[in-house]
Amino acid sequence: MNTNRKITSTWLLWPALFMLVAFFLIPTLDILRASVYDPEFTTKHFVKLFGSNVYLEILWRTIRLSLIVSLICAVIAYPVSYFIVLRPRKQQIFFLFLVFIPLWMSVLIRSYAWMVVLGREGLINAIMIGLGFTDQPVKMLFTTGAVYIAMVQILLPIQIVTCYSAMSEIDFDLMRAARILGAKPWQAIRRVFLPLSLDGTVTGAIIVFMLSMGFFITPALVGGRKDIMMANLIEFQVNQLNWGFAAAISIVLLIATVISVFIIKRLAKTLTRRLVGGGSA
Amino acid sequence: MIERDVEFGASVTFDSVSKTYGAVKALSDFNLSIQRGEFVTLLGPSGSGKTTALNVLAGFADATEGDVRVNKKSILGLPPERRNIGMVFQNYSLFPHMNVFENVAFPLRLRKMSQAEIKKRVGDSLAMVQLAEFGDRMPNQLSGGQRQRVAFARAIVFEPSVLLMDEPLGALDLKLREAMQLEIKRYHKQLGCTILFVTHDQGEALALSDRIAVMGEGQIVQIDTPDRIYDEPNSKYVADFIGTTNIVDFERVSPSRVRFSDLDVEFELADSNKNWGEGRQSISLRPEKLHRDISPSDQMIIFDGSIEEYLFLGNIIQYSVKTKSGKTLLFQEHRGPSVPILARGETLKLAFSINDARPLDEGTHGSGLA
Amino acid sequence: MTRMLKRIAKVAMATLVVAGSANLAFAEDKEITFSGSGGVVGKVSKEVWWGPYTEATGIKINHVAAEAKRMPQLEAMVKSGNVLWDAMEVSASDYPLGVKKGLFEPIDYSQVDPDNQLPADTREEFGVAYAAYSQVLIVRTDKLPEGKKMQSWADFWDVENFPGPRALRGRAEDNLEFALLADGVPAEDIYKVLSTKEGLDRAFAKMDEIKPHITTWWTSGAQSVQLLSDGEVYFCPSYNGRITTLVSSGIPAEIVWNGGAMHKSYIAIPKGTKKLKEATEYVKFRTTSADRMREYVTHLPYPGWAPGLFDGMDPKMAANMPTYPQNQAVQFSASAEFWAENLEAIQERWTEWLLQ
Repeated sequence: MNTNRKITSTWLLWPALFMLVAFFLIPTLDILRASVYDPEFTTKHFVKLFGSNVYLEILWRTIRLSLIVSLICAVIAYPVSYFIVLRPRKQQIFFLFLVFIPLWMSVLIRSYAWMVVLGREGLINAIMIGLGFTDQPVKMLFTTGAVYIAMVQILLPIQIVTCYSAMSEIDFDLMRAARILGAKPWQAIRRVFLPLSLDGTVTGAIIVFMLSMGFFITPALVGGRKDIMMANLIEFQVNQLNWGFAAAISIVLLIATVISVFIIKRLAKTLTRRLVGGGSA
Repeated sequence: MIERDVEFGASVTFDSVSKTYGAVKALSDFNLSIQRGEFVTLLGPSGSGKTTALNVLAGFADATEGDVRVNKKSILGLPPERRNIGMVFQNYSLFPHMNVFENVAFPLRLRKMSQAEIKKRVGDSLAMVQLAEFGDRMPNQLSGGQRQRVAFARAIVFEPSVLLMDEPLGALDLKLREAMQLEIKRYHKQLGCTILFVTHDQGEALALSDRIAVMGEGQIVQIDTPDRIYDEPNSKYVADFIGTTNIVDFERVSPSRVRFSDLDVEFELADSNKNWGEGRQSISLRPEKLHRDISPSDQMIIFDGSIEEYLFLGNIIQYSVKTKSGKTLLFQEHRGPSVPILARGETLKLAFSINDARPLDEGTHGSGLA
Repeated sequence: MTRMLKRIAKVAMATLVVAGSANLAFAEDKEITFSGSGGVVGKVSKEVWWGPYTEATGIKINHVAAEAKRMPQLEAMVKSGNVLWDAMEVSASDYPLGVKKGLFEPIDYSQVDPDNQLPADTREEFGVAYAAYSQVLIVRTDKLPEGKKMQSWADFWDVENFPGPRALRGRAEDNLEFALLADGVPAEDIYKVLSTKEGLDRAFAKMDEIKPHITTWWTSGAQSVQLLSDGEVYFCPSYNGRITTLVSSGIPAEIVWNGGAMHKSYIAIPKGTKKLKEATEYVKFRTTSADRMREYVTHLPYPGWAPGLFDGMDPKMAANMPTYPQNQAVQFSASAEFWAENLEAIQERWTEWLLQ
């Protein structure tokens, strides 16, 4: 009986496993293969990649941009999620609905919308000139700052939803428990609420980070000339039919993402330990 | 930091405490004093005000009126963290991101104790609850009973003046609940701490408490030792809430004579007992106080009935008996070789002593302070 | 386990058989599949080219609107031996790429142009140029300084006399040519100069001058139009056809033909098509029918070289055509060959330069 049930449940896993292998593992392995066989075994693509400052510079810029975007998202989403989680149930649904609305619009349209808002003759400049704060339009569009703004706006809902769901699982009695055991309000937040919600924040930040690593439309539309992402390079090389080199860039991007995620997780763990165990001052 | 001018076991006094939430009176003129080292249970259905009383004492809710004193000192101005009160929550509220050791060490770290002191105290506490080897486990690796014990260890490790327990056994299954009751009793004996226990389970209250305060509508209806609460409920409300009982109506037909209309019998009160039931209209009659072996005396009330139904409860049989006037009473007796089980429809005579019949107040308003 | 594998194999076989017969069924029909631009171009082409072609030959045209990733798609088809397209549009920069990778059938000119009427530089071995488009400077005339007119790349570089935000395309192609023209290199020499190290340095040095004045580096034609119409930039090169969008939405803009980069679009036949004959016939129709082409340019200013195209064309319209002799004379012909050979190396330097 028991063994029977076990067999049935492994059967149920098969479709998911098949999907994973067919649509994730095999393509990834194929990209890995394409990066080192062109057509014979070669390391030339990686030699070229690591031999040139350009690609490493762009890799570093991509990582840095993604880190900053996920950090900003995390910092903004935290109090927003906290605010939502403290509302009564019905209001929570309403606020989450508001958070979700932008997700219905395509990234391209939202990026263009930011061009309209931030442009020389855009909304903000028009208001500032109209109110006499400035007589020359301020350059906001086509700057790295604009990339941050647009990407944060695009990715923030994902962070809020992840963060909120982690917070909503926290038993608020734990805060009372901390208080009665001797914690001042901020100590209860720091040692109990923060470490418990950090997990969701970090998960959200990692999702945002990974999505950012693959972004290219938004930086290309609202960014400056230096806002080139790894994905832009991949797109260029694919269009040039340089599959091998494109594959090599993809592999490097993948590895860089995995390593970064690993580091983020470790840092978060250390931070949590600090928050929990640190001095009570 | 926390003033340590209170003993592990402290006295607690609620002095005319009221608490209103908007138009709702959760506590009204609530009075209770608990002796050092006493185990007092607040017993009542949900909404009776018992949790509010606990919250006011813990500092999670402010009293609208009145005062709360621990060791004769008012604590109302203090935030929860400065009241030095231990608390065990219904769902344990262990910190899921800390292991057992850190959970128990939490209050000590906040009190800035030395590492050695913390180690010793946590070790002692965990040993007491028989979890000395479990320091490295995370809460989600523990069973319900183990979590309960960790919560207890954490609540007492800093030697609080009072220990509050808010339905601490509610989430456990019956077997475990009974085992934990014994353990809590043992801890209480060992530590000698003052415990204020909240529950809606009368069995639990009877098993554990030195005194039980039965609550209703934000007030104490009756407070007394378990046996007296059981034997001498002061009101229909308490009688109904504690154990199983029969409520039987009566009326005074002359200064020395009462008539139990539900039983269709009259009874002449003895001269020494002339004041029995003054001003009341009903009695509580425990099912086990009814007898089949009738030895007539001037203390006994005897009436006729017929067996309607019976329930087999192990060593006890519980019968439903219909009286002549149509009232159904419960009647329990121990099984034994000389006690044959009665069949449905069988008629019989039942008796009870006037001293076992408790005249009752009508409402929930009991005598308040004992 | 084996039974399951067998079942899977059966299903797979059945799928193959059905798919195969479907292919056969298509082959019976007189129809070719053409991969071309979607949008307005597709709409106009259907009316001007495909309908009349079917009428004339009985061969239907099944249009597949091409997405941006046309070449990677083609390579995948050729490699897998399952070529779904019979003819396709190929941009000037993609053409050498396709040739290098062997993705096209050679053109049979005895069929397409037996009388040798097409200009020699439109007759490539693996494709025929069917349309021209130019990357030309577009100027917001309302943003020009009083009484001045921008006339050359030298003017575009002259930020003193022509102040205002500018944009360029974010790729090395065309821009380096523009830089050399601005630096005074004659149009006929630019590729000779660019082929040398010093020439390349010279082009980048000239780019250095304009770099701080470039607001943004656009990545799509639509974006360049948006930039000009939003007033985000005043001067910006774009494709000649885009001027229509601007003018029709009431934005005062004009083309500076001088120094424009003229590109050819090719029509080519994917290697391995089963309808080589029909496809070749369509290539002939598309490149040599002057009357059709004349009608086409009334909708879209992307003319080809069909003999007699400008005969009887409205002179005002002719003046908007990149191949109109007067316009063609002041432009240079962008060299797809040069870029096919040098793009990879130059692009890397270009990217590095952008990051500096």
